[in-house]
Amino acid sequence: MIELVFAIHVVGLVGAAIAGRRSIQGALRVAAIAPAATTIWAAESLLSGREPVSASMTWVEQLDLELIFLADSFALMMTLLVSGIGALVFVYASGYFAVDARGSIRFPVTLLGFSVSMLGLVLAESVWTVFIFWEFTSITSFLLVGHKLSDPSAQQAAWRALMITGAGGLSLLAGLLVLTDDVGSVLLADIAGSQTASPLAAVLVLIAVGTKSAQLPFHSWLPGAMAAPTPVSAYLHSATMVKAGVVVMAVLGGAFVDSQTWQWLGLIVGAATTLWGGFVALRQRDLKLILAYGTISQLGLLVTLLAVGTSKAVFAALSIVVAHALFKSALFLVVGEIDIRTGTRNLDELAGLHRSMPVAFVVAVLAGVSMAGIPPLLGFAAKEAAVEAVLKLSGIEQVVAFIGIVGGSVLTVAYTFRMLAGLSRSPEDGRTITALAFRPAMAIPSIIVAGLGLVGFVLLGTINGIVTPAATELNAGSAVYELLRWPGATTALMVSAAVVLVGSTIGAAIHRSETATVLGEPEPVAARVSDASIDGVLRLSRRVTARVQHGSLPVYLLTMSATVVIAAAAFLPAVSVTHLEWAETPVQLVLGLAIAAAAAAGVQVRTRLGAALTLGAVGVAMSGLFILQGAPDLALTQLLVETIVVVGFVTGLGHLARTFPPVTQGWLSVRLGVAVMCGLGVVGALAASSAQPSGSFPAADLLRESVETGGGNNIVNVILTDMRALDTLGEVVVLAVVAVGVIALARTSRSPGRAQ
Amino acid sequence: MTIGLLIAVGALTSVGVFLITARSLSRIILGFALLGHAVVLALVAAGGEAGEPPLANRVSAETIANPVPQALALTAIVISFGLTLFLLALARRQQELTGDDLVEDDLEDLRVAQ
Amino acid sequence: MIRSQSPIVHISVRAATPLAAVAGIYLFFAGHNQPGGGFAAGLVLGAVVILRSVAGLRTPDDATVLVATGMAIIVAVAAAPLVWGDLLLDQKVVSLELPLFGKIKSGSALLFDAGVVAVVIGLIVSLLNGLAPAEFSPESPGDETST
Repeated sequence: MIELVFAIHVVGLVGAAIAGRRSIQGALRVAAIAPAATTIWAAESLLSGREPVSASMTWVEQLDLELIFLADSFALMMTLLVSGIGALVFVYASGYFAVDARGSIRFPVTLLGFSVSMLGLVLAESVWTVFIFWEFTSITSFLLVGHKLSDPSAQQAAWRALMITGAGGLSLLAGLLVLTDDVGSVLLADIAGSQTASPLAAVLVLIAVGTKSAQLPFHSWLPGAMAAPTPVSAYLHSATMVKAGVVVMAVLGGAFVDSQTWQWLGLIVGAATTLWGGFVALRQRDLKLILAYGTISQLGLLVTLLAVGTSKAVFAALSIVVAHALFKSALFLVVGEIDIRTGTRNLDELAGLHRSMPVAFVVAVLAGVSMAGIPPLLGFAAKEAAVEAVLKLSGIEQVVAFIGIVGGSVLTVAYTFRMLAGLSRSPEDGRTITALAFRPAMAIPSIIVAGLGLVGFVLLGTINGIVTPAATELNAGSAVYELLRWPGATTALMVSAAVVLVGSTIGAAIHRSETATVLGEPEPVAARVSDASIDGVLRLSRRVTARVQHGSLPVYLLTMSATVVIAAAAFLPAVSVTHLEWAETPVQLVLGLAIAAAAAAGVQVRTRLGAALTLGAVGVAMSGLFILQGAPDLALTQLLVETIVVVGFVTGLGHLARTFPPVTQGWLSVRLGVAVMCGLGVVGALAASSAQPSGSFPAADLLRESVETGGGNNIVNVILTDMRALDTLGEVVVLAVVAVGVIALARTSRSPGRAQ
Repeated sequence: MTIGLLIAVGALTSVGVFLITARSLSRIILGFALLGHAVVLALVAAGGEAGEPPLANRVSAETIANPVPQALALTAIVISFGLTLFLLALARRQQELTGDDLVEDDLEDLRVAQ
Repeated sequence: MIRSQSPIVHISVRAATPLAAVAGIYLFFAGHNQPGGGFAAGLVLGAVVILRSVAGLRTPDDATVLVATGMAIIVAVAAAPLVWGDLLLDQKVVSLELPLFGKIKSGSALLFDAGVVAVVIGLIVSLLNGLAPAEFSPESPGDETST
């Protein structure tokens, strides 16, 4: 079944590429089919409660490299989010791009490529499968953020995202190596079941999670990534890709339940991120940036809960994952619609939006209220679970988690309040916003996701039926929990009420004193630090490239030759001269010396004709050696080849100056040194190898085989045309390719247009 | 392997490496051809001691030379033959474009490094 | 190419052509039992082409046809066994009784070798045409165009 899911996506990729030639709208609609089908599959499997299906494909058996997928409850829940929101985003994007936009393949195919990568990541069951798809999501995210090729700030943001998430990928690789080495298995189930994880692995994995899920101090790429088209922001940078870190943290969490490093690092980073993100979101005026920092804040919340790692906290985290995916993607989709229809995302210019774009405003309120955690929406139930999870803790852990989660929630309420109040305030000068025509393709997906927040709250049983088994998959203790529509007058409800009260007061206060100049544009130090370090890395890589890729063929070849010397050095200890004799026959020695002399002449000779003749001399002497060695075929072929090559030399180079250009002196000593070392190295390696003869060859078998199955007496020929016929076929293909190349080169040079 | 063959292989390798690091394409071609010879000779010599030509109707299993490296060497000769001819055609083209056969630094590579 | 106008070169090359061709054909058929084979035969025949070119005699001028024919034969021979369910490049050995040559026992390898001969000759012809100095081809302005 999982194979089929991937197959549908591959078909979708091809279909989108074909449809994209005509129009981007068509391509996006075609691309929506595969995620939609996957959504139906995931929903059906979840509700039917079947045994999880799996799929695997061996890649390199010896290295334990296998692609393994398992569709358990957690994977299916994530699949539902990834593919469900994906399908809606594709539909939305078909409205986002102008109708007269030229056909484009790049955007639909890359976005669907991301969708497959994310699907692979959530379905993965072995760590290496996780890693591969993790990297795929980084790469597709890079391509999508940098989608506007003409916009330098988008390019810059794409680089920043790639550098940070790429560095995180390396950290993840290192962490997974440590983990698999400790546990001795590559299966996620085995790793989550073990409790042997080292602090090193905890730190490495958390760094990876931090980069991908935009935790302090790696968060700076996420606001920059808002340069991407809004469908991308809605899909990658709120609902799915940024959750990849959280997903990895969730599935590996079992291994770290007893790790103090994991808990405290995650707790502190998560709490700090949720506060910082909320605080900065309060100061933004660009709607998309408010949402981006809000996302950072919510991700911090998730990291905090998963670091705590109790069964209630895991359950709360997954509830928030679902709720957040719904309300945040709805908000992004609405903001994109506002942006397209009014031409601005600036809060100051959007006063009175509720009059000119009522539908969009209602969607924004619905999603915003869910984000603030106010009933009757899904966000409320999820946030209640989080607060309850914190109240169950004790000691200093509880204090930190409480500050993070309650503080973050207050800030969330505040920036939501401020945003919605800003949109609904009456414009001072009586201006009205001029909005373009209603676009159903954009509005409907946002209505659906925002409406799901309401429907989900009404049909909370269904949501529980999805979240509880998923949480149980990660932490067996979660089986007893479920989201409640109305918890009754509990402490948690009191806390929530206080949160809403304080948050809306802060939001209202900021809204009233809304003179942006007071607050100014925040420029977090972290962004500057990360930009500086990224610039440093890029500068370093340019400098390294300039050193190693200097464009000089002689230096490249010298480097390779020097490497040969180093490789040959390994053989030198095995050299022994005792078994070496001067020659099998005196003639052999004479011919060997003749070859050496002719080769040496090749260095000295100044004229091109002379060079051709030395080559010929070497070839003839080689033929002689082959005769002595008992290889008449080689001797014959060598002689003929040498004849043709010498003729080729004379004809091909005959029109060049008679003598070689003078040798440049600069590198001469280096070249001589490397050349002599190379010769000595090869001699050493050969002498060493002949000190350890490999025994006799199967002469009798070869004789018999040659006559009986090959039908020939010339064993060399039989080997070439029968036993190794495929090699010979390849060899003839090489000759044919050379002929084609020579003809092509000649034709280019003879073409009439060349002289101009 | 005998010292006579080792001298030949060593000299061919040294001269070959020296020539392929030259600036003149015709010297580079010469160098590649010589390196090809070095490899073929080493291959044949590594096959064992000299023997009778491997013709099934004329020799016995005791005196026969090892035919397997010979077959490999034959392929090597043919391939280096093809390579040499192709390089010659390239040198010819280079001469038509620039008037000589000097290998210049790759400007694209340098540009990347800027 | 250094086209000699000397009558001695002219006549001797013309006389040597059939002899060398016979030598090539001998190598071709000998290959399976004695030193020789398709590659060597192709080189000898190619050398004949070069000699004729040096002497200013007529030579084949379309290398493409030779290379294409050779490759077609080779691929056909290589793939044919697949048709009747054998492995790629599987050999068929047949015995033939020919006048002059006597009894020839050979296989599909002989056909394969014929393809090799065509490719090798094609390569050498392409080399002759490709490397020939520009001043001999009328439409090319020669070496002075270089900048």
